[in-house]
This record gives sequence, structure tokens and C-alpha cells, in this order.
Amino acid sequence: MTRNLLNALMATCALVALGGTAQAQEFDYGKFDGYTLKVKLIGGTQYEKLYTRIPEWEALTGAKVEIVSSKNHFDLDREIKQDIASGSITWCVGSNHTSFAPQYGDLYIDLKEMVPQAELDKYVPGTLASAMVDGRLVQLPRVTDVSNLYYRKSLYESAENQAKYKEQFGVDLAPPKTFDEFKQQAIFFAAPPDIYGTAFAGKDEGLTGRFMEILRANGGDMFDENWKPIFNSPEGVAAVQWFKDLYDAKAVPAGTVNYTWDDIGQAMAAGQLAIDLDWPGWAGFFSDPASSKVASELGFAVSPVGTSGKRGGWSGSHSFSVTQQCDNKEAAVSFAVFLTNDESEMMEAQAGNLPTRTKTFIEVVEWFKANDKQHLADMFAVWQQSLSEARTPPLVAQWIEVSNIIWPAVQAAIVGEKTAQEALDGAAAEATVIMQDAGLLQ
Amino acid sequence: MRGKLSIEKPWQRWAIRFGVFIAMVILVVPGAWVVLTAFRPNIEVLARPAVWIPQHLTLNNFLGIFGLLSTQQGLPVGSYFVNSLVISITSTVIAIALGMMGGYAFARYRFRGKATLFLGFMLSRTVPGVALSLPLFIIWARLGLIDTSFGLIVVYLAVNIPFTIWLTDGFFRQIPVDLSEAAQIDGCTRWQAFWKVEFPLARSGLASAAIFAFLTSWNEYALASQLTRTTASKTMPVGLMDFTAQFTVDWTGMSAMAVLIIIPALVLTFVVQKHLIAGLTFGGVKG
Amino acid sequence: MSFWRSPRATPYLLLLPAIIVILGVVLVPLLVSFWTSFTGYNLTKPATLFQFVGLRNYQRLLGNDDFWWAFGRTIVFITITLNLEMVLGLGLALLVNKITWGQRTLRTIMMFPMMFSPILVGFQFKYLFNDAVGLINNALFDLGLISQPIPWLVDGALANFSIIVAEIWMSTSVFAILLLAGLMALPKEPIEAARVDGCNPWQVFRHITLPFLMPFVYIAMTIRSLDVARAYDMVRIMTNGGPAGRTELLWTLMTRVGYQNSQMGMANAMGYVSIILSIVFTFYFYRKLVGARTFMGGAQ
Repeated sequence: MTRNLLNALMATCALVALGGTAQAQEFDYGKFDGYTLKVKLIGGTQYEKLYTRIPEWEALTGAKVEIVSSKNHFDLDREIKQDIASGSITWCVGSNHTSFAPQYGDLYIDLKEMVPQAELDKYVPGTLASAMVDGRLVQLPRVTDVSNLYYRKSLYESAENQAKYKEQFGVDLAPPKTFDEFKQQAIFFAAPPDIYGTAFAGKDEGLTGRFMEILRANGGDMFDENWKPIFNSPEGVAAVQWFKDLYDAKAVPAGTVNYTWDDIGQAMAAGQLAIDLDWPGWAGFFSDPASSKVASELGFAVSPVGTSGKRGGWSGSHSFSVTQQCDNKEAAVSFAVFLTNDESEMMEAQAGNLPTRTKTFIEVVEWFKANDKQHLADMFAVWQQSLSEARTPPLVAQWIEVSNIIWPAVQAAIVGEKTAQEALDGAAAEATVIMQDAGLLQ
Repeated sequence: MRGKLSIEKPWQRWAIRFGVFIAMVILVVPGAWVVLTAFRPNIEVLARPAVWIPQHLTLNNFLGIFGLLSTQQGLPVGSYFVNSLVISITSTVIAIALGMMGGYAFARYRFRGKATLFLGFMLSRTVPGVALSLPLFIIWARLGLIDTSFGLIVVYLAVNIPFTIWLTDGFFRQIPVDLSEAAQIDGCTRWQAFWKVEFPLARSGLASAAIFAFLTSWNEYALASQLTRTTASKTMPVGLMDFTAQFTVDWTGMSAMAVLIIIPALVLTFVVQKHLIAGLTFGGVKG
Repeated sequence: MSFWRSPRATPYLLLLPAIIVILGVVLVPLLVSFWTSFTGYNLTKPATLFQFVGLRNYQRLLGNDDFWWAFGRTIVFITITLNLEMVLGLGLALLVNKITWGQRTLRTIMMFPMMFSPILVGFQFKYLFNDAVGLINNALFDLGLISQPIPWLVDGALANFSIIVAEIWMSTSVFAILLLAGLMALPKEPIEAARVDGCNPWQVFRHITLPFLMPFVYIAMTIRSLDVARAYDMVRIMTNGGPAGRTELLWTLMTRVGYQNSQMGMANAMGYVSIILSIVFTFYFYRKLVGARTFMGGAQ
């Protein structure tokens, strides 16, 4: 039934889009002959394909693009902070991310004032909303990340497993719908050291984010309306308990408390995990037979809901922003729009990234089907479902600082140095001090 | 002439050889693993159970870096390489020159403030990177030295000089003063005596200092990632981080890049080795 | 005759370029960051550079448990790695010194770890020590030595052990090559004379070789003790302070506070407290160096 509804929705969207483009204005990229646009872009093999479109924009507008810096997001963030600190903002367009954007203050302009509403309407509304900080649209989203489940079909479709599961739990074996089921199945599948149920990010913003996701799925949240930390609620304790139960039952690799995303990805690709809640960027890697043992049996499922029946939907988007100090804002905005327009989004989507324009979802699924990439077509169908429930972390400048308090506390609880309540209470107290210092907490 | 006495019994010699062998294995294996990884597809690298004998060897990782594979963008490896080379060699040469001057001053002269200066050079290294990095960045930005080879060279000089001074100081002290005095009695100026007598004898020390300074600059990441932006000055270690994205790490690609970093260093080290023993025949000079 | 033309000026002139470089690159930034440690400087709010808060950062620091744990752990880390590296490096140098054949290749192999950038070493050992798919656990499994994977990077003692191992692998070669160069610069006559007089190899080593080497040992120790902060990149990649701060060292803490939390003023205050640590180490080795020199003669 929901499938039909979805199809109907997509068909309507397609119709509206088709009808819409006939009347909507084509975005005017402008002419900037002789102008050199300085940009700072996020570098790395995953992001660079899009930049092959830059010569097209140059030809279109007559301007030249000078890539002043190209780094990974960790170093780029540091560089931008240094630029702010030293007052040397000599560039116009910068790569940004919804998690980092709130820290930059008023470095970037409000794009609502420079981009026509007709153009902004082409973006996925939820994604665009999460690109706002304090009501200002400081960035144009480029690709979105939201987590969903990858699982090994061979384990789920094995008759033996199905029989055992049915016997033990009384229900059929299928990808988990709730986090409790997720935990149950992970423990069921685990047979260390040959195979584990799952793995989770054990440190840095990764752990805080997952904690936040389960917390929200259980109905709780990080802060209340007055910015008072409330993550040490019973929902938060239940979230920490989820990690701890998996760890104690040895359903996750013992080293998971130190894992970052690449460790989890490698474990899944090596066939060590039964199921993995992870990001779309891994789909290509997991389905490549040269990289991954599970390429032939990769399954996709929507992320589970929590005790409140909702999804946590932790997401973020990479984006482009334009600086206040830019001497030719029209050119900069034109560049940012160009790199996130329909053709650009199509290029990103074909590589397996989630686009930020509504139309692209439909088009790329068609393209996948026509080009013998059925599994990616399936993946996109699943992923698009979860976009509607996608939520970013709190869009406030102190997020990273607060996160750096939370993840060591959750780690301490997982490895048993403190109880979950103790750890969260301690973190909440420290977070309160931070929010007070920042003047946000009344 | 190596002066090796053959008083040692055969079992001692074999024990020594065995010890060296084990030590070399421990030193080499973790590094060799990285080099081998560069030639393997990811599925064999981080796998369980481990694939001990490589089933497939591939050059894809290298092709990918240079943009010869359709699935990914290449990286400007050539530019990184040239930058690394220029920056490392220049800062090493200058550091050796300035270090030699300073080391000679400390080794051969008594002067006021000598101990303080020496200590000062040492203490300049106590400053932790974080305390230094931002102000250095701000100053360099004002001077327009960000993203220039020159800017990075100057910083590496400050990193390497205390070290070259100490090393050359130590080696100059090993050379008896009488040699220089004898040459001066024979009619050389102090300057000539230095070049004819002391410099050749200190060659082994200078070669060691040079290799160190070069390798430090060649592999340095922290300062380079701060002060470089684009292919105008980005060095190869900074290029290693191009293989990390927000969630994924292209480990096989990074290993391929690492191989490109290691090979020139290995070759250069091997070539410079002979100067390490060149100055050792002064056993016949003394007495 | 002006001072600068006299022969007395020679040492100063020789040292002048080096002094200028150090002043420019180290001293000036140092003073600036010293100033910022007395402010509430936040990276993303440049105006806070002038927000003088007096000793507040230092006061908060002194009462901060995490900082002192990291401080203590760093001292232990430096002490253990330096001593082990010296002993292993000395052993390696002595062994290699004895081999005549293929010296050049041997020395090059010995320097192999020096060709790995610290950041690469971080990724390398992170994957080697990975408990699920890492080489070390795989080897132990296949040799039948373990049946459950060892969590190298998680368990309190093991995680610290792992970062120490990585650091030792990375830097023992530095000691080894410095000491080997020192061994090669050793004059041969005293040793031969002692042998002829009937001393056994151990006595020769203890009374002749080792004292000659001591200045090199102290130089190497000083260099390495100040250089060991290079391990920061490696530790950041491997554990980033380890589960629940078990492997938190001063440098990971400072960088997180300064760059991720943008609290530059506080980070610099931490830096200055830790400078005291470095100065203590430096002074200690300097005194030893001077002592060894006096013993050996040479220009004071």
C-alpha cells in the first residue's frame, strides 16, 4: 500500500516538475568576463568528480575559477577558522557542511537574498531547511547523507537461520524494524570471532551522532527550547544501554569502541558484519567485487524506528557557501547554484550520492534501471524514503564542543567505567556550562 | 679498512647476524605491508581470514591516483612530488650550511653567551605545535607566505637548524684541534684550514645531518597541512589526506601514494650512504 | 676597530643567520600565543583576541582533572618511548656496526621506518591493530595463539601499549642511525690498544665505546624528546585519546580544545604548562651533555 502511495507521489512530482519547467525561469548564470573567482573546495577522490564541470561554468559565464585550497573536511574546517581568526578572507566560495556551518558566524551570506525562490524550490524542502542557520540560508546543499541499513542477504535468506530465529523469537526473520529488533538480531547472528552482528562508531562525532539518533528515535532530544541539555533523560539512558548491551553480549567487535567509519566499512566489506547502519557513500564500495566480499549479496533496508515509533534520521549535507567579503557575489552565487543544479546533482547521484534536488531522484532511478544498476535503483528507493525524516544535529555553534564532551562519556558507559546515568549526567553538567558560557542558556 | 678484529668466535658472528636479521624483519614488515597493500585490491587487504599469499596483484591503485581509471578523479601527484622535492632539498641544503656555520662556532670558539645561545636553540624546539601554529599562520598570512614553497622552506629551516647545529657541533668536537692548527702553521688561513682539513673529516656527520633534515622535511605533515593550500605548494604527505573522505578512507589508494613517497626517500638515502663512511680513514692521521 | 670586524665577532656572525630564522619563526609566534593564553580567545570570534581574562585559563586548567591525567600520561609516554628507543637503537647500531658485508643496504633498511610520514604511520598501525580484520590478530589466529580477538586499541593497557609500539617503530631508527654514525666516528686506536692489553669486549664497550658515545646519546635524547610531539598525528589517527580518554596525551587534548572547540586561549594555556615539561627534559639532558663533554675534552 505504501509502495503504491510512493509511486503515486513520485508520478505526481514528475508531472509537476515537467509542467513546472516549461513555465519556471531558467536560472540566469550571468556573465562575468575577466573575473577570477576564488574558491575553497573539499578535496578527495570522492568529491572531485563534480569539479570536472567547472570548465563548463567558466565557458558559460566567461569567468575563471581559481581553486585556492583543496583539502579534506577536517583540515578545511581548521583552515577556515584560521582565516576567520586572521581576518584574511580573500576567497568567495567555500565548501561547507551542515554540521560545521553554525560555527562560522556571519562569515557566509544569506543566499535567500540572492537566489530566486523559483530556483530554491527545486531543492528537496527538508534538505534546504536543514541548510539554514538562525533563519539564514547560509549554504546550498550538494549531497545529503542519511543512514540506512545494509545487510547480508545470505544470512537473512538462509533457511537454517530463519528456522532458528522463528523458533527463538516467534516472528519471521527480516531486516529489523525497531532498534530493539536490531539489537536482538545482532546478538542472534553474532558468532565471534568469525562474524559479528554489527559494529558502531565508537568515538568522535560519529558516536555522539548515533547516540543522538537513537535518543531521538526513542522520543528524546539533545536540548530543549531554552538550550538546556536534556539528553540525560530515560530515553538517553536507554540509547546508551543499546550500545552497552551489544558490547557486553560481544555482538560487536571488541575494538568497535575505537572504530571510525572506515573501520566499520572495512569490517562490513570483509563480511564480518551481518548488518550495518551506515551511509550512502559506502554503497559503491560494498557492491564492488574488487573491494568487498559481500558485493553479490548486499541488501538495503530503511533504518529502524525507536521506542517512540519515530526514526532518528541523523543526517547532514555537504554544501557550498558564499562569503560576505566576496567582491563579486553574483558570480559566486552563480557558481554555487551551478554546482548544485540539475545536471550537477545528476552527476553526483549517478556516483551513488543522495542528491539535493527533488527531480534528480526520479531521473537517476530511471538511469540506474536503464544502465543495469538495479541494486543502486533499489538503494535510492530505500534512501529517499528516509529523507523525509532526516534531521541534522542541533544547528548551533557549540555543537562540536558539546559533542566532544558526550562521546567520551558514552564510551565510559559502554566499557563499564561508569553507569549510563552517571556518564550522561556528568556530560549534561559540562554541556550546561558550555551553553551558559555561550550565552544561549538563560 | 674497517678495523674488525677476528678474535670473535664463529658462533658469536652468527649470533650477531641472526640478531641483525630479526631486527631488520621487525623494522621492515609493517612498512612492507603498506607497500604490498598498494598492489592489492581492497578485498584482500583488510580481510578475515587473512589472505597471506596475494591472489591478485593489481596496478589499479596507482592508475587511479594518476587519473587513468574511469572510476575516479586523479590527483595532481606530479605537482605534489615536485613541491616536496624542491622544498625538502632546498631547506636541507640551507639548513646544513647554516648548521655547519653554527656548529663550528659552538665547537671551536669560546664566546660570551655561548651556553645561553646553545640552550636557546634547544629550547626553541620545546614549543608545542599548537601554540605555534596559529600565530605563525597569521604572521605568514600577513607576509603573503601562505601556500608558497618559500614560506614552508623557511619554517622547515627553523625546524631543522637546531638539530643540524647540534649534530655538526658534536662531530666537529671529535676532530682534534691540532689538525687545523697544523694546517695553519703550514700557511693556510683558518678558512682554508677548515675546508681542507675539518670539513672532509666531518663529512660523515654532515651526511647524517643532511639525511635527517631531508627525511624530516620530506615526511612532515602538521606544518605543511597548515601552510599550504593548493598545488602551488602542497607536499606529498598532505596529499595523503586526499584519500580520506568524510566517511571512507581509500586505504589502498593511500598506500599507493605512500609508495610514491617512500621510493625517492629510499633511493636518496641509499645514494648518500657512501658519504657516511667516506671520512673515516683518519685513523692514520692522529699520532 | 669596531667589534664586528674583529676576529671575536666570528662566532656571532656564523650564528647570525640561524638566530634570525629562529627568532622569526619561533619567538614571535611564541610571544603572540603567550598573550592569547591570557585571553578568552576563540578562533571563530577574532574580537575575543583582546578580551583579557587574566589567569582564568590557567586557573581552570589547574583544577581540570583531564588535563593532569593527560599531562601525567604524556610524561610516562615520553619516558618509556625515549628509553626503549635508546636501548633498542644502541643495540641495533652496535649489531649493524659489526657486519662488514652489505653495510650500505643494511643502513638503508635500518632507516626504512623514517620514510613513513607520521600520519601514514597512524593509519598503518590503526589497521594493523584492528581487532576484526587487522594483520596482527589475523597472524595470531592463524598461528593458533588466540581464539578471541585482542582489542589492541580499546583495552586501557593494550591501547597505550599499541601507541608506544607504533611510536617506537617509527623513531628507533633515528637513534640507531645517530648512534651508528657516532660509532663510526670513533677513533680505533684506543679500542685496539685495549684489546691488545687483554680487555674483553664487554669491558671495551663499557669503558671506551660507551663514554665516547654519551654525547651522541644525549644529543639524540634531547632531539627526540622535543621531537616526540610528532607522534601527535599518529595518535590522533589511531585512538584520538582512546576510549574514554585512556590514551589522551597533551597534544591530542590541546588540538581538540584549540581547533575543534575553537578555544584557542585555553589551548595555549595548556601549551605553556606543557612547555615547562619540555624545558625540564631539555635542561636535564643538557646538563648531562655538558658533563659528558667535560669528560671527553673538547672546546667548552
